[in-house]
Amino acid sequence: MSTVRAAGLTKRFGTVDAVRELDFKVTPGITAFLGPNGAGKTTTLRMLLGLIRPTFGTATIDGKRYAELRHPRRVVGAVLEATGFHPGRTARRHLEILAVAGGLPLARVDQVLDQVGLTDAARRRAGGFSLGMRQRLGLAGALLGDPGVLILDEPANGLDPAGMAWLRGLLRGFAGQGRTVIVSSHVLAEVAQTADRAVVISGGRLRYCGPLEGMSEDGLEAGFLRLTEEAQR
Amino acid sequence: MTVRAEIRKLLTTRTPLILFAAAQLLVVAGISGVLARRDNVGDAATQRDAVAHIGLVSIFALILGIMAVAGEHRHRTITDTYLTTPDRARVVLAKLGVTTVAGLVFGVAAAVVALASAAVWLAARNESPALGSGDLWPTIAGGIVWNALFAAIGVGVGALITNLIGAIAAALGWLAVVEGIVAQLVGDPAKWLPFALGSALDALPTATDGPPQWLAGLVLAGYAAAFAVAATLTTVRRDVT
Repeated sequence: MSTVRAAGLTKRFGTVDAVRELDFKVTPGITAFLGPNGAGKTTTLRMLLGLIRPTFGTATIDGKRYAELRHPRRVVGAVLEATGFHPGRTARRHLEILAVAGGLPLARVDQVLDQVGLTDAARRRAGGFSLGMRQRLGLAGALLGDPGVLILDEPANGLDPAGMAWLRGLLRGFAGQGRTVIVSSHVLAEVAQTADRAVVISGGRLRYCGPLEGMSEDGLEAGFLRLTEEAQR
Repeated sequence: MTVRAEIRKLLTTRTPLILFAAAQLLVVAGISGVLARRDNVGDAATQRDAVAHIGLVSIFALILGIMAVAGEHRHRTITDTYLTTPDRARVVLAKLGVTTVAGLVFGVAAAVVALASAAVWLAARNESPALGSGDLWPTIAGGIVWNALFAAIGVGVGALITNLIGAIAAALGWLAVVEGIVAQLVGDPAKWLPFALGSALDALPTATDGPPQWLAGLVLAGYAAAFAVAATLTTVRRDVT
């Protein structure tokens, strides 16, 4: 049962405030992380994961900054890149490297390949993968440490309808085990089917944090547009 | 864990193997050029000029080092690397260690290839290798060390210039153009620049007025250490966007 928390989280790039004083808490279940392009979603996720250093404030997972986690891959699995592989490396080799670096048993590699349906493609070079297969391989890497938290940046990109249904099932199952999922997305229809709660940011500021149905009485899209329009720059 | 992962990274793509093979081919070609065409191939000095090609392979070791870091940025695998090992200094150190050893392997292999191809050419011309002259071994050892140190410097360059193409262009441009021009501009102090130091370390024919071999090696190691420190300091602070 993991909790992800942002407290006063702020990131300034030069003179631009990418993210300003974000406060939110994400608890077990599926939380959609929503916002228009350029709202600061990716910057926020990367601050949660220690890849971007906050200008002010803190981002913590179960009270610890990412860099303080002793076995980060056992605590958090993340997919931030649509394609985060060397094109000449096979899927299995890619995952083996992550397992070795993370101190995880190599037996996990075959398990996650099976979990994401890439067993038959395990010995193929990732450079030849379709976008959907890349998403699956990214997810396999995130699942490698059997973490309690999943953080996914636009995981539905490139998935066909069957892939979307599969992803939805995977996330539902994951959340059903009492784990925590944060998933950023632009596809509101998909979010409506999957998420329990939403965090909405726009212009780098928090607009909403709460149950999905509480966002709006007249549909998710209307609510989303209302929450984000006043902040358009 | 981090070190073992870095070794796997090196061995699971084709590029390092291609660089390795290209380096060895260059050694054979360079040695053949000297020993097939020159007259006095029995002289230890001529043979030293031939085996000095071991050190020139360090350009490939340099590129290997650059790719170890900038290649990860190019393919966006750096995100997963830091997610797995948030202690980025450890990542840089692991890359430095593994790549330096790989550079050493490049150099040792080049030495073996150099001696073998020299033996073939000398036998064909009824001469024998001047292995006892004391001229050959310091050049061979210097060439191997040059490879290892340039591999380490490559890691530093790749960490400072994370754009792969930019880093390789900067490194090769430095070696091919900048260092030569700087040398003309500043004169004598230019012998303390990296490629000039490598040349002195390797006793290249072009390095006639450089520092003694041991000093060249020491200063080049100083460059590698300075690059390592700069690489670590920038890497731990950089935002990975």
